[in-house]
Amino acid sequence: MRRWNVVSGVAWRTLKNALTNPQILLPTMLFPLFFFTAFAGGLSQVSKVPGFDFPPGYTAFQFVFVLLQAAAFGGVFTGFGVARDFEGGFAKRLLLAAPHRSGIVLGYALAALGRWAITAALLTVVALLVGMEVGGGAVDVVGLYTLAMLVNFCGYFWAAGIAMRFRTIQAAPLMQMPVFLVLFFAPVYVPLSLLEGWLRTVASVNPITYLLETGRGFVAGDAPHVLGAFALALAFGCLFWLWSFRGLRSAEAAGA
Amino acid sequence: MSAANGIEVVGLVREYRKGPRAVDGIDLSVAPGEIYGFLGPNGAGKSTTVHVLTTLLPPTAGTARVGGFDVVKEGPKVRSIIGVALQEAALDPLLTARDHLRLQATLQSVPKSERRARADELLERVGLADAADRKVQGYSGGMKRRLDLALALVHRPRILFLDEPTTGLDPQSRTALWEEVARLRREDGVTVFLTTQYLEEADVLADRVGIIDHGRIVAEGSPAALKDEIGRPSVHAIPCDERDREAIARVLGRFGEPLGSTRDVAVRLREGVGLADIVRALDAEGLTLLDLELRAPTLDDVFLAKTGRTLEGAAEEAEVEPGRGGV
Repeated sequence: MRRWNVVSGVAWRTLKNALTNPQILLPTMLFPLFFFTAFAGGLSQVSKVPGFDFPPGYTAFQFVFVLLQAAAFGGVFTGFGVARDFEGGFAKRLLLAAPHRSGIVLGYALAALGRWAITAALLTVVALLVGMEVGGGAVDVVGLYTLAMLVNFCGYFWAAGIAMRFRTIQAAPLMQMPVFLVLFFAPVYVPLSLLEGWLRTVASVNPITYLLETGRGFVAGDAPHVLGAFALALAFGCLFWLWSFRGLRSAEAAGA
Repeated sequence: MSAANGIEVVGLVREYRKGPRAVDGIDLSVAPGEIYGFLGPNGAGKSTTVHVLTTLLPPTAGTARVGGFDVVKEGPKVRSIIGVALQEAALDPLLTARDHLRLQATLQSVPKSERRARADELLERVGLADAADRKVQGYSGGMKRRLDLALALVHRPRILFLDEPTTGLDPQSRTALWEEVARLRREDGVTVFLTTQYLEEADVLADRVGIIDHGRIVAEGSPAALKDEIGRPSVHAIPCDERDREAIARVLGRFGEPLGSTRDVAVRLREGVGLADIVRALDAEGLTLLDLELRAPTLDDVFLAKTGRTLEGAAEEAEVEPGRGGV
């Protein structure tokens, strides 16, 4: 119960700040919408490329990528907040007041999920309004959002681990850049089968490709390697969860 | 002693990586319900000690028990019984005072049904009721410190750590805070560990004082006992004419040992010497003064006697010696 109080307290404070300060919430909401309209709208002719086979259409094809991207960056942006709290000294209040400090890390994670949920809801509404077709059933939709939620946790735990090791917002590029690279070295605009050269090689071993294909499969109603994708997302989630908790220990040892 | 509200520290050391020993083997014990003043200049190791005792920083060596709990092995238990107001109030500029109190109460597991009333009570007590719903970014330094104190009290802690709580406060706010600290001890039996670089603060508030310098406790006892240890009063003279300084020092030197570090001409009087003797001697030499003062020993005298420097001088020294642990 005491640990839950810490989790809920930290999440409440982070979400309150986000919801009452547009400068915090708007970028995380507007960037995915911008990407979605730019990719799905501006590049819609890509779906006419020979060999492009995705029955729900290009809007749905891009929607899945933007949903996963928003999830990952939603987590990373929450990591920025963690770094700011350490740099500004507020983290000391949390460390001093929380009997169980692991609750602090989990509280931010809950807030990251909350922030992403708002963005995801908005993105979904916009996608449906512009005519996105969904071939999958309710189970597929749940699968897609659950997968995105795991990506959100991965993004957050990765960034939080960096934030608590460096304890300064100057570490933001270190949190963001690897996530950016992993996302964009995936089959963003066309399926993997249409990629060529080194990009195809990189995309083939990129774990995000695997998740993206499964996510797009959920929308199409024919998801490939579902178990593998969830296992992969869970494995990375656990890895980054450990990474962030080691980061917390590092912050504790340094006296925050 | 591992009394429920006490603090016991044995051989505490805290070294910073590639840095000096900020705390260098200190022993201290604070009795339940006592106000313990930890006095020293900037960089002496006061805040580092507080950080270790409040579980914010692990010790390099030694042991510390707070409220009977080991700060390393039983951190969660320590944190649940202490309240802490650090030197720099750790506040979120985007939250209001009421938000902060709500968050603090949640983190400290104050029952939901009590949170609102407790927040109202504390806001009233620290004089922030009117500003409770304003964002902290618009608060003055004094308001932030008062909010910090209120936050430290949300869960009715048994032991309160105040790290230089009145630094930067105006005299009125300082007095109000002193009264609040005294009330907490008197009415609620709270043990208070207070760091300060203000002699007056330690003198007025503390039952016992520990004087720390370069990470070591150089003196400890009640303010009265420490001053008694120094014993004799001192005489301080300000010459009318600076050219008389040496002559005045020579005359005063007949009555006691010179206090070299002070800015005026001063001596610690020998046993049995009265002010009248000095006035007569100065008059006989035809020396005129702007001011002549007989001073009872102060904690600064204690600091001077124990370290060879005044507290003010030590603070200036610390400013030009940034390598020393100033946390």
